Amino acid sequence: MSQRTERRGIHVDQSDLLCKKGCGYYGNAAWQGLCSKCWREEYQRVRQKQIQDDWALAEKLQREEEAAYASSHGAQTQSHPQSTAPQSHPGHASLGPFSKFEEKKTNEKTRKVTTVKKFFSPSSRTAPKKETQEGKTSSPSISRHASFDTDQVSKDFVDFLKNLQKPGREIHKQCRAFIVAMSSKKDLSADELSECVQDFYQNMADRLLSHYKGWFRRTVVVISSSDSVEQVMDQVEKYIMTRLYKSVFCPETTDDEKKDLATQTRIRALHWVTIQMLCVSMDEEIPEVSENVVKAITDVIEMDSKRVPRDKLGCITRCSKHIFSAIRITKNEPASADDFLPALIYIVLKANPPRLQSNIQYITRFCNPSRLMTGEDGYYFTNLCCAAAFIEKLDAQSLNLSPEEFERYMSGQASPRLNSSEADWPQTGTAPGVTATNTVLAQLNHNLELLSGLSSRQETLMEAAQSLQADLLSWPAGVQQEVNNILEKYPLEILPRTVSAIDANNVDTDNLPPPLTPQVFAG
Amino acid sequence: MSAMRVDAKVVMLGKESVGKTSLVERYVHHRFLVGPYQNTIGAAFVAKPIQVGEKVITLGIWDTAGSERYEAMSRIYYRGARAAIVCYDLTDSSSFQRARFWVMELQNCEEHCKIYLCATKNDLVEGDRSLRQIDYHDAQDFAEEIGAQHFETSSKTGNNVDELFQKVAEDYNSTAFQYMTAEETGVDLGQKKDSYFYSCCHNN
Repeated sequence: MSQRTERRGIHVDQSDLLCKKGCGYYGNAAWQGLCSKCWREEYQRVRQKQIQDDWALAEKLQREEEAAYASSHGAQTQSHPQSTAPQSHPGHASLGPFSKFEEKKTNEKTRKVTTVKKFFSPSSRTAPKKETQEGKTSSPSISRHASFDTDQVSKDFVDFLKNLQKPGREIHKQCRAFIVAMSSKKDLSADELSECVQDFYQNMADRLLSHYKGWFRRTVVVISSSDSVEQVMDQVEKYIMTRLYKSVFCPETTDDEKKDLATQTRIRALHWVTIQMLCVSMDEEIPEVSENVVKAITDVIEMDSKRVPRDKLGCITRCSKHIFSAIRITKNEPASADDFLPALIYIVLKANPPRLQSNIQYITRFCNPSRLMTGEDGYYFTNLCCAAAFIEKLDAQSLNLSPEEFERYMSGQASPRLNSSEADWPQTGTAPGVTATNTVLAQLNHNLELLSGLSSRQETLMEAAQSLQADLLSWPAGVQQEVNNILEKYPLEILPRTVSAIDANNVDTDNLPPPLTPQVFAG
Repeated sequence: MSAMRVDAKVVMLGKESVGKTSLVERYVHHRFLVGPYQNTIGAAFVAKPIQVGEKVITLGIWDTAGSERYEAMSRIYYRGARAAIVCYDLTDSSSFQRARFWVMELQNCEEHCKIYLCATKNDLVEGDRSLRQIDYHDAQDFAEEIGAQHFETSSKTGNNVDELFQKVAEDYNSTAFQYMTAEETGVDLGQKKDSYFYSCCHNN
């Protein structure tokens, strides 16, 4: 692990690389910073139950395989003389690759191989290192690393081959032998690995074909020989590629990963490409169309999650079918390649599928070639390759733009969507130079203006509030002052009190009759 | 979905709106759809079984995008094709120039691919001779020069369409036999040289 890190030229402190439990071994990020041993202990404790399940399955598989081996070992010599040689010493064959495996035991990828090897030959259980490291744990603990998926695929494969009886066992043996052989070839380049797998497909298909030609007459199975070969080959591909996926998908010997990143960045930089520029005849305003577009995007993204090349192709085909229906709904007539390719390009641009280049490379390298070259899946895959190539080389001319426009869009100075967006923010359009900004910038400007307007209004508000406060503070003083002034101006005078009779003021009293005197009535 | 086994890949090449898809549509579904601005109709991929003598050959017919903007990608399309039907429009001389381009490309990149030169819209020319822009003899000379078969077809009337595809299938059938025998010897040699079965067994 550390060696690989140094080779990449990344500086990492030695202590960071060591196992978190401090046992002195190197840790691995994939094992949460633990070394293989501590990780195993940790892992085992947490997933005891699953280990037991795995154990049961592994034992079942092994029993089946041993039974298959026992019967085919005796039988194969007469039924398949052309294939006896490779199988004559299967146990012997496994020893070779295994010694190499020991050297690289820290490599995470080899764990899966161990599982396969265990299935293949009991001899791998006697691995000295494993025994000392794990103490009490025996062979099934090794198999726990094989994910549930892988086990399921193995199980399906065994089930499928059971129907084929003797040749089925033969096929199983071949596949296991091949996977073991592949595990010893990790240092080969991707192209060489691809060649190995393709050779294997070719040999297997040839062998099946010649076998079926002889076998056909003697059995009741009434299917054409090429069809059954195809069927078996599909299963073989599924089994092998599920097993090999981790070690051959985006291998370190290639620059696939770099290309993935480049493509991803490229697609991000092209976010401004509109459906009109690509001359796509899809109208996303129609709900059914946009539904299909969403489905197509989902499918092309889903491709990355599949392991078997054929399943990946299936995703591409589904994606393409959705595009076809989208075009058909829009145009009211069946789509042609002239409509389809631009639409696919648009979908890829919108989806930005993860690890696009790696997936394309993986399918090209490891898919059964007969499927890839001619069939319907192959057609859609080719279109996807074209779309990827187009996006890589995309320039002003391919979008019917002038080079200046293209540059402006690429650098983010302008946006083709500005014309429509100006209507939404009329204020920004009036400012000089705003025409050269893209949608987001325009919106940003608009928001900034709004904010500055708000802040100025708030300032006036604050001023007004402060003056109001000042007014309020000065008001009682003013009132007091006024009151004082008035008090000073009109001092309180207490005038002498003049007492007079009520009638004193009356001038004409003489003419009045005398006032009534109260009379007291007795009774 | 893709249950149909395909024996040979046949690509349709030619400028936009020369009628590549109409040709396929006519051949596969025996129909011709009319509309004002329809450059192509029908699905882009068709698998069509054809009876050749005793055998049935299934052709996988690949429609391609003819626009010039995808010219750089065209090689990806015809990789591994056993036959290419290069179409041109009898009423459009520029489409013939483009056909010459495809032929050049094919000769350079795909030597196993057999070329069929196919003129389309013959019905228009028959209706009005002045519309013809490509002389029959010029095209015939060109076809002979490149060693290609030459057909003048009409998707509207169906004239010569079946003959074209039948010829493609027959040619494939006769060459496939040679091809297969050649391939088999190739595999034998390879097996001796570098086989994983070999290396697996004799590793130690």
